[in-house]
Amino acid sequence: MLSVFKSIPTHMDYKGQKLAEQIFQGVILVSAVIGFIYGFTIQQFGWTVYIMLAGFMISCLLTLPPWPVYRKNPLNWQPALPETSGENRDKPQENQKKKKHK
Amino acid sequence: MNTVLSRANSLFAFSLSVMAALTFGCFITTAFKDRSVPVDIQVSKVMIKNVDDFTGPRERSDLGFVTFDISANLQPIFDWNVKELFLYLTAEYSTKSNALNQVVLWDKIVLRGDNTKLNMKDVKSKYFFFDDGNGLRANKNITLTLSWNVVPNAGILPLVMGSGHKSLTFPETYETTKSY
Repeated sequence: MLSVFKSIPTHMDYKGQKLAEQIFQGVILVSAVIGFIYGFTIQQFGWTVYIMLAGFMISCLLTLPPWPVYRKNPLNWQPALPETSGENRDKPQENQKKKKHK
Repeated sequence: MNTVLSRANSLFAFSLSVMAALTFGCFITTAFKDRSVPVDIQVSKVMIKNVDDFTGPRERSDLGFVTFDISANLQPIFDWNVKELFLYLTAEYSTKSNALNQVVLWDKIVLRGDNTKLNMKDVKSKYFFFDDGNGLRANKNITLTLSWNVVPNAGILPLVMGSGHKSLTFPETYETTKSY
């Protein structure tokens, strides 16, 4: 069953990762400030926690799945080298493996 | 941040740090509040007996019986950082053998959301008012005060004494049990 989850692509490119981090930090901080002010106004700390949790859920939805907006700047990989004779076969395959690992 | 788990890890850790900062903010807004309110204590019946005390080093000790009324409005104490109050009524006096004695006679827990106007009449003491010896008889100055322990959501648990006390005097003679 785990192989099904592993085969779903979840990568984002670098600019997308930076955007995702800024988005979730912004959403959580904004919900924390709103929650603090609302909780202080009605004098119940429980509401501060609920609003924070709502902010957490929203930022989960916005940044965990790899939406297309996070894939706008893909890296330009070199095209795969065609398979040549046996001696040169190991090196190109190693290079491709190293690049894909990031 | 390339995989879902890595993003989820970073998101969750950030949320927890922000939560910790909010809790600290909650503590700071209420750390320096004065948590004392006026309290009114009245006493309706005072009696004293001299009974066998098996917990002490001597044969017989004084046992006091006090019936009291308490009224106080605890609403100003409850704010967003208070979870509950633990109230206790203390009797404080001095005798020939001990300079300071403090005995807790009664206590009550008031949770947030409970009725905060305390108006109890004819309450008997919950705990025995034993003296360490025989110093209660004809003791002129026994002071009853109501104090409370504030249990917060985040921060220190202060012990606060209510303003207002009641002094009472114990009678000269012991109450003898009647036999039928």
